[in-house]
Amino acid sequence: MIELKGVTRRFGDVVAVDNIDLTIETGEVCVLVGSSGCGKSTTLRMINRLLPRTSGEILVDGEDINKADPEALRLNMGYAIQSTGLFPHWTVARNIGVVPDLLKWPSRKRDERVNELLTLLGLDPATDAHKYPHQLSGGQAQRVGVARALAGDPNILLMDEPFGALDAITRENLQQEMLRIQRQLNKTTVFVTHDIDEALKLATRIAVMDQGRIIQHDTPEAILRRPASAFVENLIGKGDRGLKLLALRTVGDLMERYPQPRRPEPYSNGVNEADSLRVALSVMVWQNSAELPVFSEAGEEIGTVKREQLLQGGA
Amino acid sequence: MWLLDLGVVQPNRIVSGTGYGLYAATGWLGAGVVSSLLVAAVVLATKPIHNRFWMLALLLTTALMAQPLLLEVFALRKLPEDSEYARIGIGAGFWCLAFFLALMLLETLGQLKASRRLQLSAVLLIVAGWWFCATREGLSSLSLIREYANRADQFTQALAIHLSLSLGAVAISLVLAFGLALAMVRRERLRRPLLGLVSFMQTIPSLALFGLLIAPLGALSAAFPFLQTLGIRGIGWAPAMLALIAYSLLPIMRNTYVALMEVPEPVVDAGRGMGMSERQIFVQVKLPLALPVIIEGVRITTIQAIGLTAVAALIGAGGFGTFIFQGLGQAAMDLVLLGALPTVFLALAADAILSALKFQGASR
Repeated sequence: MIELKGVTRRFGDVVAVDNIDLTIETGEVCVLVGSSGCGKSTTLRMINRLLPRTSGEILVDGEDINKADPEALRLNMGYAIQSTGLFPHWTVARNIGVVPDLLKWPSRKRDERVNELLTLLGLDPATDAHKYPHQLSGGQAQRVGVARALAGDPNILLMDEPFGALDAITRENLQQEMLRIQRQLNKTTVFVTHDIDEALKLATRIAVMDQGRIIQHDTPEAILRRPASAFVENLIGKGDRGLKLLALRTVGDLMERYPQPRRPEPYSNGVNEADSLRVALSVMVWQNSAELPVFSEAGEEIGTVKREQLLQGGA
Repeated sequence: MWLLDLGVVQPNRIVSGTGYGLYAATGWLGAGVVSSLLVAAVVLATKPIHNRFWMLALLLTTALMAQPLLLEVFALRKLPEDSEYARIGIGAGFWCLAFFLALMLLETLGQLKASRRLQLSAVLLIVAGWWFCATREGLSSLSLIREYANRADQFTQALAIHLSLSLGAVAISLVLAFGLALAMVRRERLRRPLLGLVSFMQTIPSLALFGLLIAPLGALSAAFPFLQTLGIRGIGWAPAMLALIAYSLLPIMRNTYVALMEVPEPVVDAGRGMGMSERQIFVQVKLPLALPVIIEGVRITTIQAIGLTAVAALIGAGGFGTFIFQGLGQAAMDLVLLGALPTVFLALAADAILSALKFQGASR
């Protein structure tokens, strides 16, 4: 658990972070979202003491972080940044092994960990481990960046716009990976982004920041349904709020299940159980159909989703 | 090439002697071999023959290796046997031929995209060839070798002094400049005055700096006799060393500073954020990333110091400069060559070694 109590940070006369209170529960993904210069990165960098705070208290699991040795504190907090910060003179494997090396793990344990993480992030231990960062694509480099942040098995993960520099498709892929990894590992995560869609997708709770203050701290659904101010309303966009709400829920939540899974008819178009309701609606609109078959991950037809239900109960 | 003098026959070391062209010097056979070799090289270079660049590289390397044999043939044919002091000198034609062959070899190796190892082996082969020829009886009448034979002890001593002066100065300035660069990285304030001072030293002409140091060092050693027992006097190695260090500081200091400042900020930030200490960041990240540029500074400095050490002979520091200035004084051009050639060779060797080191550092 991370607690920020009355935390302020000034750069000269400029107040970057203004007396904020924020509690991040263990295992939750807290996304700090806001426009550039709102103090979200500053907040993140105070949690691992890359920046000292001007006043206030930051506690990790009840302990003031200023009491700990800064290097020891950071070794227990994975850190990934937008420009990856991979060491250009080291191979991918050595980059991922930085924190295990700093923690003085035996080399066998470290190598196993590196391979495990490469696999977890969809990279190939046999071919990618010995590449240098300049031989990687942007998406691959960022995967390595995330793997490196996870390497020391930290309790906390700090991510500063890690997918900000990627193209839309790669970003989407990495967000999916992130959700999958988070389901497996349950790390307490603080994630900074300026992209509200990314925030809605990844967060268990979102903290909307503006001019150094936290305007609203709530679940994605609550933020969409009850924006606390005109600023938040603008940020989420009034027009497609309904679609964004649909995007938060999966088809599996709303579908009618068959008692027994069936073999799908050949060439039938439908949606997957894990797709969002937004996708389901889009397919319905495109095909002009009132009902869609729903498939499981194994490819069996396990139920249907109806347009009526989606329009009434979706948002 | 056919018109220039290949070699010169001198009755003794001062008189300039008579020159002989390629045909006159080596006869039909020598001229024929050289001409057909050049024709073969041109044919290989222009006709689309399979593997032609490999054949060309092989041909040119062999030609360069064997080139001193031309002088041997020349000595055999033209050197008067009855004169004890007669000697042969190397003519412009010989140097031109060597230059053209080397240029062609360089271009061929470039076309082959030859690895550094291959390039180095070609150079080593040629050096070995020349070394082998130089130690043969047939070339003992070459005036350069005569000058060397007369001064073999002095030559070894000059080599030792030249190397220890230039490399010693570079080593000391490396330590000093590294410390100063670190100080500038820590304290931005120091940057302007330090760089200003060191750049100013670089602008003083070398002869003037050597001269300027004579007075203060002389005074110092007169005031403190124990300095004299260390060999520190107004002339000799002490002022030479000081001046060389002064000149060596700038390239190393500037390169080290720039290289350390140009390590990308996100890389340092990531290292720090992952829990590396400042010391670990410096040793494991900043220094390896800066190393190629620092080595480049050392390379520039070493070449410069080897050249300047030759000038330092003027204030009695010793080294190959001694031969150059003696030769100039006696109008014995081959003695000048005996000083100049090894100086050039040392500089080239330092360049090759440090460039190789830099590439090694960069590719790691």
